[in-house]
Amino acid sequence: MFDALFRFFFELSPVVFSQGEFRFAAATGSYVAAVAVLVAGALALAAYRSGRGRVRDRVVLATIRIALLAIILVCLFRPLLVVKAAVAQQNFLGVLLDDSRSMQIADHNGQPRSAFITEQFGAPDAALLKALSDRFTVRTFRFSSAPSRTTRQGELTFGGSQTRLGAALSGVRQELAGLPVAGLVMVTDGADTADATLGDALLGLKAEGLPVFTVGVGQEQLSKDIQVGRITTPKTALKGTTLMVDVVLSQSGFDGQPVTLDVEDEGTLVSTQQVTLPDAGTPASVPVRFTVNEAGPRVLRFRVSPQPGELVTENNAREALIDVRDRQEKVLYFEGEPRFEMKFIGRAIKDDSNLILAVLQRTADNKYLRIGVDNADELAAGFPKTREELFAYRGLILGSIEAGAFTGDQLRMIAEFVDRRGGGLLTLGGPRAFAEGGYAGTAVADVLPVVLDRTRIQAKDTVARLTVKPTRAGSATAVTQLAANEAASAARWNTLPGITAVNRIDAVKPGATVLLTGTDEARVERPMLAFQRYGRGKAFAFLPQDSWIWQMHASIPVEDMTHEHYWRQLLRWVVDDVPDQVEPSLTTERVEPGEAATLVANVVDPSFVELNDAVVLATITGPDGAISDFSMSWDGEHAGQYTVSVPTKAPGWYEAKLEATRAGKTIGTTVTHFRAAPGEAEFFDATMHAATLRRIAEDTGGRYYEAANIATLADDLRYTGRGVTSVEEHDLWHMPIVLMLLVGLLCAEWGYRRVVGLA
Amino acid sequence: MAAVTLVALAGGALLALSTVASAKVEQDFRDFQRGRRLAPMMEETTAEYDGRFAFMRLRYGAADLRQMRREPPWAHDFPRAEFHFMKILSELTFTRTWVDQGNIRSLDDPAMAMFPVAYMSEPGFWTLNAAEADGLRGYLQKGGFIIFDDFRENHRDNLVSQMRRVLPDARWVVLDVTHPIFHSFFEIDSLDVEGYYGPTEWTGIFEDNDPTRRLLAVANYNHDLGEMWEFSDTGYMPVDLSNEAYKFGVNYVIYAMTH
Repeated sequence: MFDALFRFFFELSPVVFSQGEFRFAAATGSYVAAVAVLVAGALALAAYRSGRGRVRDRVVLATIRIALLAIILVCLFRPLLVVKAAVAQQNFLGVLLDDSRSMQIADHNGQPRSAFITEQFGAPDAALLKALSDRFTVRTFRFSSAPSRTTRQGELTFGGSQTRLGAALSGVRQELAGLPVAGLVMVTDGADTADATLGDALLGLKAEGLPVFTVGVGQEQLSKDIQVGRITTPKTALKGTTLMVDVVLSQSGFDGQPVTLDVEDEGTLVSTQQVTLPDAGTPASVPVRFTVNEAGPRVLRFRVSPQPGELVTENNAREALIDVRDRQEKVLYFEGEPRFEMKFIGRAIKDDSNLILAVLQRTADNKYLRIGVDNADELAAGFPKTREELFAYRGLILGSIEAGAFTGDQLRMIAEFVDRRGGGLLTLGGPRAFAEGGYAGTAVADVLPVVLDRTRIQAKDTVARLTVKPTRAGSATAVTQLAANEAASAARWNTLPGITAVNRIDAVKPGATVLLTGTDEARVERPMLAFQRYGRGKAFAFLPQDSWIWQMHASIPVEDMTHEHYWRQLLRWVVDDVPDQVEPSLTTERVEPGEAATLVANVVDPSFVELNDAVVLATITGPDGAISDFSMSWDGEHAGQYTVSVPTKAPGWYEAKLEATRAGKTIGTTVTHFRAAPGEAEFFDATMHAATLRRIAEDTGGRYYEAANIATLADDLRYTGRGVTSVEEHDLWHMPIVLMLLVGLLCAEWGYRRVVGLA
Repeated sequence: MAAVTLVALAGGALLALSTVASAKVEQDFRDFQRGRRLAPMMEETTAEYDGRFAFMRLRYGAADLRQMRREPPWAHDFPRAEFHFMKILSELTFTRTWVDQGNIRSLDDPAMAMFPVAYMSEPGFWTLNAAEADGLRGYLQKGGFIIFDDFRENHRDNLVSQMRRVLPDARWVVLDVTHPIFHSFFEIDSLDVEGYYGPTEWTGIFEDNDPTRRLLAVANYNHDLGEMWEFSDTGYMPVDLSNEAYKFGVNYVIYAMTH
């Protein structure tokens, strides 16, 4: 509409004005005429100065007359718009057509977006293609993940599982390098699925001065759609762990509608719940709880059943990969006095085959009892005195043990256990714990999520009797989930018997999260379970001294699993994601079949100092059972980080066994998985992204068009100023707007005179 | 070496107790010769739960001590036995204890749950009703531990019979000296102990009758640890016998708190 109006008034396209240069082409006669106009102007001014009528009327009329004469004066000097126009058929034009799956979405006048491409580029005489071909030598490319030349319409399948706008633009720019290219035309919905930003690609285009004219196909908002958005799941989990995952739901056209949100583990339903959809445009986070009971690489599918009228149903489900490990995670528990808390924690996890508790129980001065140790030497000399010994554990529990029981180096080791080794530290309440145990000002105090103040400790032999409840943040974690669903869990917390605490904690660290609070008899609320990440690891503080009451109390039935469940979940969290000596990571858990997966491994020695001189071998077992070895090399940039690019062929699971050796001695071995499979990313956030396309156009000097407004595209492309061009001069004096101004001013003068009685 | 030191400490503690209580020795000995003290002499104490370990003696049969003409069997050695024992426990170990307060609970008392180690004297006279059987069953299954002391001869038949009502499938097993309960604090090298009534047999019930799991109950057949504790400050009992009795008692408690 804007373009049509502009052309009506100015005869030319806005692009011509933006690209052109304004000049005057005055002839000798122009100056003579100009003198005449100036004289006429002077006479007019003189006449109005001494004429009859009010001053205001004379000023208005004089202004109109002068304006009229000024326009005539400008026209007499022959204003020109000088613009470089591409010479027909002497220039190349790159046309990029989106061949991804999102082009199948039927929101282009009720037709799939791909219909626009078929209509405009499907045949040599198709409208837009013909218009372009008349002016340029057109090179057509189809793109999804990468661009490729296409010469026939049939080559477009609209089946690409990714859209990488930046890669497509860079690829075509390089393909056409050295040719006289007028510009690029990109026809797409703009739904970029690449992880990388567009910035680099646009910089290259800008540097080369190559404009991109973008054509957006589709609607900026789908009329009816439900989308399962971002899901954050841990990359690894211990078998049997209950996970709480936030699922972000968004929708349009289904405000307040109840739907069912299911979670499937490789096809087996592991969770289902009713969810009321949020209002349109306001994504809602829904906590979902499920347990991973099968070991190995598991694809978890979060799904909302398709609703009638939905344009896109593929975005109703999202998948996440979790490497479920069936192994024994060893936790060291150092308890400074005989008490029932240690016994009952041990009992709670005794039947958990994935958690091993090695207990060092101090029973008297310099007298220890070892429980659950692997051999006669383990902990024989008391608490570990070397980093190697301590870092062999993945979790550490400090019970009621005073800081004075450790050397200064041991306290620093405990801090490094969290910070450098990435282990999980859990400190329990007790008369010898926290500030009451002398930890304020120690290295351990830095790690803890609670603030220790040696001037504010609980009076000796006094106890706080508390009822414990989860906080809002705590309710979103698995550790507080004591029953089958959130409501039942909340009810369970309300009926749990009270427990006691002998440590006074008034504040938590700024980065800490309080998960449980306790309310004492004076109705004062205090943190009971707090958590924070510290360095590579995490630290927990659990303030009660006797959670065993949740097991023993007369109100608790024998078969009740509250206490067991709480401690298993908490200790699983403590050891969750604790790194091995050879710790794998993947830039992405899924690659397209045929693409390469980048494996990354961090390698450290037993005291968790990074090693750059290790030999790291990746043994890849493909979905067909084929085994191939890849040598991983230090990336030269990050200490202890080794990478390798592993090509994939067939779709399916790939197992990567990473083994690091040094001087012929094995440092560690670990196994990870990735898969080659087409992704569904194309259908997420699959609306037409006009903002992205505008940005591409504006950053490169091109222009953005909606699919319904491409009439001027072919003409506009002529004026990019690139390639083989000729100079065109467009006279501006005969633009309709000039005539309209002249007539308008004359009419205005006449009308004014009529109104004020001077006609 | 540590065990020897601690036994010496125990001896020292006993000596201290003996000194403090020397004035009562004569009277106690007279009481002992005359038989058990009369019930009205006894007073119950209460240790309100605050996180500390408190001795809990189990009561069965008649409820009110003051109405009894003679000391009931469950109260045998009360209160001096437990107070002496708790003093020793607090002196030797880092266990935070109630020293001069304890608890007497019936088996159906909900408050019993707050003290996961229980002591029963003279189980040969033990009687229990259905509620008490339920109470003890839940207590043991949830994590409690019970010590049966001071019984001999056919008294064991009654203990076995009553425990069958509590845990019908439970089997009493003779304990081996290698069991952790005999090494939880003191290193007890031999179970060949001449008990108060004759050669002692140390038996127990394991969770799910699985010897690899924890002990729910331990019974000192032909022995009376409480008697040894009670009179350990009188000079009436040989110090060695009292020491041995304390070692078993301390080990029981430490085991119950850690396994």
